[in-house]
Amino acid sequence: MKISYNWLKQYFKSEVSSEAILDALPLIGFDVEETEVLGPPQMEQVVVGKVIEFEAHPNADRLRLCKVKTAEDEASHSIICGAKNFNAGDRVMVALPGAVLPGNFKIKKSKLRGIESEGMLCSAKELNIGQNHDGIMVLDSSIALGTELNTLYSDTDIIFHLEVTPNRVDVLSHIGLARELVARFGGSVDVPKIKSNLSTVDTLEPNTTLKSLMVEATDICPEYSAICIEGVQVGPSPEWLKQSLESVGLRSINNIVDITNYVLHETGQPLHAFDSAKVSGQSLLIRHAFKEEKIKTLDGNTHSLNDSMVVIADDAKPVAIAGVMGSADAEVDESTQSIILESAYFNPSSVRKTARKLNLSTDSSYRFERGVDPQGVQYGIERACDLILEVAGGSLLGKRVQIGSVDKSTESVEFSPEAMRSFIGFSVQDTEVQSVFESLNFKVDKSSESNWLITPPTYRKDVTRPVDLYEEFIRIFGTDKIPAQSISVNGINASDHPIYQFNDSVGTYMTGKSFNEAFLYTLRNQDEVAFFQGKGHEETLKLKLENPLQSDQSHLRNSLIPGLLDVLDLNLARQNLTTQFFERGRVFRVLEGQLVELISVGFIALGKNLDRKWLEREKFDFYSAKACTEDLFHLLPFKVKERKWSPIETSEFWQPMHSAQAGDLLKEGFEASVGLLNMKNVKECWGLSYPIFAGSLLIQTELFEKEMKRFRYQALSNQPASMKDLSLVVNQSVLASEVLKTIKGFIEQSIESFACESVEVFDVYEGEGLEEGKKSFAVSMKFRAQDRTLKDKEVNALFEAVQSAVLEQTDYQIRK
Amino acid sequence: MIEKTLDSLVLEVKEMSPKLGSRAEFDSFKSTISGPKGKLTDVMKLMGKVPKEEKPAMGKKINEAKQVIQASMDEANKRIEESELLSSLGPTIDPTLPSPDSEKGVLHPIAQVRDQIVELFNRIGFAVVEGTELETEYYCFDALNIAKDHPARDMQDSYFLPNAIQMANVSKESDEKYLLRTHTSSVQIRTLLKEKPPIRIVAPGRCFRRDTPDATHSANFHQIEGLYVDKNVSLTDLKATLDYFVKMVFGDSAKTRLRPSFFPFTEPSFEMDFYSPNLGKLSNQWLEIMGCGMVDPEVFKSVGLDPNEYSGYAFGMGIERIAMILQGVDDIRYYYQNDIRFLRQFSD
Repeated sequence: MKISYNWLKQYFKSEVSSEAILDALPLIGFDVEETEVLGPPQMEQVVVGKVIEFEAHPNADRLRLCKVKTAEDEASHSIICGAKNFNAGDRVMVALPGAVLPGNFKIKKSKLRGIESEGMLCSAKELNIGQNHDGIMVLDSSIALGTELNTLYSDTDIIFHLEVTPNRVDVLSHIGLARELVARFGGSVDVPKIKSNLSTVDTLEPNTTLKSLMVEATDICPEYSAICIEGVQVGPSPEWLKQSLESVGLRSINNIVDITNYVLHETGQPLHAFDSAKVSGQSLLIRHAFKEEKIKTLDGNTHSLNDSMVVIADDAKPVAIAGVMGSADAEVDESTQSIILESAYFNPSSVRKTARKLNLSTDSSYRFERGVDPQGVQYGIERACDLILEVAGGSLLGKRVQIGSVDKSTESVEFSPEAMRSFIGFSVQDTEVQSVFESLNFKVDKSSESNWLITPPTYRKDVTRPVDLYEEFIRIFGTDKIPAQSISVNGINASDHPIYQFNDSVGTYMTGKSFNEAFLYTLRNQDEVAFFQGKGHEETLKLKLENPLQSDQSHLRNSLIPGLLDVLDLNLARQNLTTQFFERGRVFRVLEGQLVELISVGFIALGKNLDRKWLEREKFDFYSAKACTEDLFHLLPFKVKERKWSPIETSEFWQPMHSAQAGDLLKEGFEASVGLLNMKNVKECWGLSYPIFAGSLLIQTELFEKEMKRFRYQALSNQPASMKDLSLVVNQSVLASEVLKTIKGFIEQSIESFACESVEVFDVYEGEGLEEGKKSFAVSMKFRAQDRTLKDKEVNALFEAVQSAVLEQTDYQIRK
Repeated sequence: MIEKTLDSLVLEVKEMSPKLGSRAEFDSFKSTISGPKGKLTDVMKLMGKVPKEEKPAMGKKINEAKQVIQASMDEANKRIEESELLSSLGPTIDPTLPSPDSEKGVLHPIAQVRDQIVELFNRIGFAVVEGTELETEYYCFDALNIAKDHPARDMQDSYFLPNAIQMANVSKESDEKYLLRTHTSSVQIRTLLKEKPPIRIVAPGRCFRRDTPDATHSANFHQIEGLYVDKNVSLTDLKATLDYFVKMVFGDSAKTRLRPSFFPFTEPSFEMDFYSPNLGKLSNQWLEIMGCGMVDPEVFKSVGLDPNEYSGYAFGMGIERIAMILQGVDDIRYYYQNDIRFLRQFSD
């Protein structure tokens, strides 16, 4: 909201400087986003001149070549001007060579279309005097030539752009802000006195302009007030009115409309004036709109209404959307003779809904939807009436009609100074507390010393509880008076959430492994999300937002990997040869028809060394990616017993048979994928034609609520271990995990008095010496007894039993 | 005879052993001396034929010769071992060449600032809680005293999910809509419903607003929420905590002020501003860094706590905002581009 310092001073008559006000406003809750200085700065060589004569510029029809005198007895200046709103003999503002206009615009002699111009004739806007830029300023002919601009316009104004929080509708006006400054600096608010002596009736006495006035929608319009004025002279507003409105960014329209706007910005009460001649049937009815009823509002747009909205209607049509905007059909213009002035209280939530639905926010709706002062309805109309009679003439027709009456009661709040002291945590005197409340116009009843009754005024509907009073106190008393103190901490039994701890260790681990962390957007485009399941798939459909803002951010992400590919792509495009990235974040999946938010870690690494190095290192491959993923499992705060990896056989995203998966989100609560990304699709979608390896871990949040892992000591054997190796020839499609499982099974069947510590594949071979379609696994087994050195005999017996089981029960061959 | 042989043998070993250049030469020479058919072995065999009375003297001689031979051979062996070790080491290194291994990765600058903030609050007894990015209107608005038609809801335009969507791990209060949380304040409600005071938590996390992206707005951003609820928590406690925080992050020379403001879930509400003499372009001006206030009694009621018994304070700050101030970054979008040259600027 814009507040004019000059305007404000009419109600806040005080010696307090504008700087002091500017400093104080944020500290009493009104942040100043910007200040603007209106009015001309000190300018040399800008003086009043007289146009002696002019002719068209010989080389440009649109320009005038003027002779301008700035002193009666001096030679005239030859000045070229583009404006046409002046005549010979007019007084104008002339900027002579050497002048510097606002915006550091330096005036000097210069040629325009071949003819020299010795200065410039100025518009109000060019001199920072007003908004008008339609033509140059034409001044009163009584002003002496040569008068300096700054002598003529000594008045500058400061405009505060205030941020007013939604709870403080009472401050959305100049008087409202003046009240706050009085609370802060002392003094009193000078509220303009009402001059017209208006009596009030509760039903209209029909007159020549209005025959009928009824309120049907009393729920939405509990109070409606109107005054009829005839014989008004509609015309341009006087300078003070124009300037006031322009200073707060409004355009002057005509004196009547300007006065309604002026009173809104003065008091906070929105008003409206109808041209009574345009009110069909000389009747007004405040009713709910009909379904699809049309209205063309003052801004020139046509709106289609519905029956939840309220309108002010004549016999034939709506003439205003209640509390929002008037209709162009009943607009006050130059031809208007008599008017109906309206002031009302409209239900905040109804106005808000209407304004939202119509996407039409106005100065009126903005105030009504926050709840205007119930006392202000009458004052507003009376004040406007005074100003209209003063500025536009005319005479009152009948009395002020007021239909209904909005609740103007005030409620007192019980207040204990002791409770407040404990709440704010420091000591203040009762008298200080009382004087703060009184400065805010709150009535203080101290009949009970420990339990006061505080009654805020009607415009402070936001103050209803003791805690609201505490806020008002501290706001005006000053937050800078809260004592500085050191922190006293008593211990609380709580530790950081396991998800946070896990992410923390992932960060340390992954950066240690040369991965760089990226932050990517959660919202992604449909194609990317569909990568995993397909466009028509339930998951893709359910990840879509109801109201996306941009088509490339329409879906919740179901994987971190696509975003990481974007990062790789961006960096490679910028010749940054860093090729390993990771992200920790949330992703979303659909499980059994329901959306689930999951904890995720994703990483990618190029399977190719891009930068040339004096010593070549191993490339990142599937097993590097697998190792990272396995390590991530170990960082989890709970135990994941076994990861059963199986190759991914078909996928658009992963390269089949070069990637693997473990876990099941539904059954085990986690899913890990690792391996080469689908080379063809990555090239197609990201233009990256490199082998790229990735890993992705998804975990259900509920797993982190489980019991965390603990480690317990187990006694070690001091006896030497005994090793056996076995080489098996198997079909190429057989997985290592299968072979190990089989061998472990056979060992378990035969082992008795000692333990098998491990069974591992230590060599894989295919090629020469082996049949086509076969490969061999070399498996090593490690045995140990708790109490003795193992004898060859017993280990061999077991080994033989395993070998014969292999021969009898599998189609593996034993390679000698 | 034996003596002569011994003398020439010693002489031979003394002369030859320094010339032995490799393990193979050493071994073959050694076998000519002490091998089964070696010269020294042969001499030893002759001992049997030495008359009894000469044996002690001869024995002594042989022993002396053996010791000399052994010493020479040991010396040669040691020399060869050393040269073998040297040759196994490969060429010498050039310590000025860079390591071909990849350098360590870096944490994202936002993560670094988040961790720094969390650590500061950890130190004064705040524990981290986690919330979900998808929330419901109730936990994001209603329970925080942001009524349905309250203009405060205008302040945060949100991304919603269609009504048909059901979530497995985000509970609803009744049949309200799901949305992407607009602030981390929703975590306050979930925590207060789950745990009993005293509660002292911080909740870092990702938030979303339906804003057109520009230099200061991003489709998603991060916040840290703080909450302390106990008996007798006062406004002065809030100020003490936030003053500590600002001084720890921006240095002892930073000043703070609490500017009265409005949030439906705190009363009184404030924006905290700080002022620092050493922040580059942003020096010596008041900069807003977080919203805060005393927990509104309505919030206590919505989680079933008696506002007459408990009080508390809450605060919330944008991590990107603090990062931008600290790191001197002037466009939030750089954080989401992840150009490695940018990311590396904030790690050593």
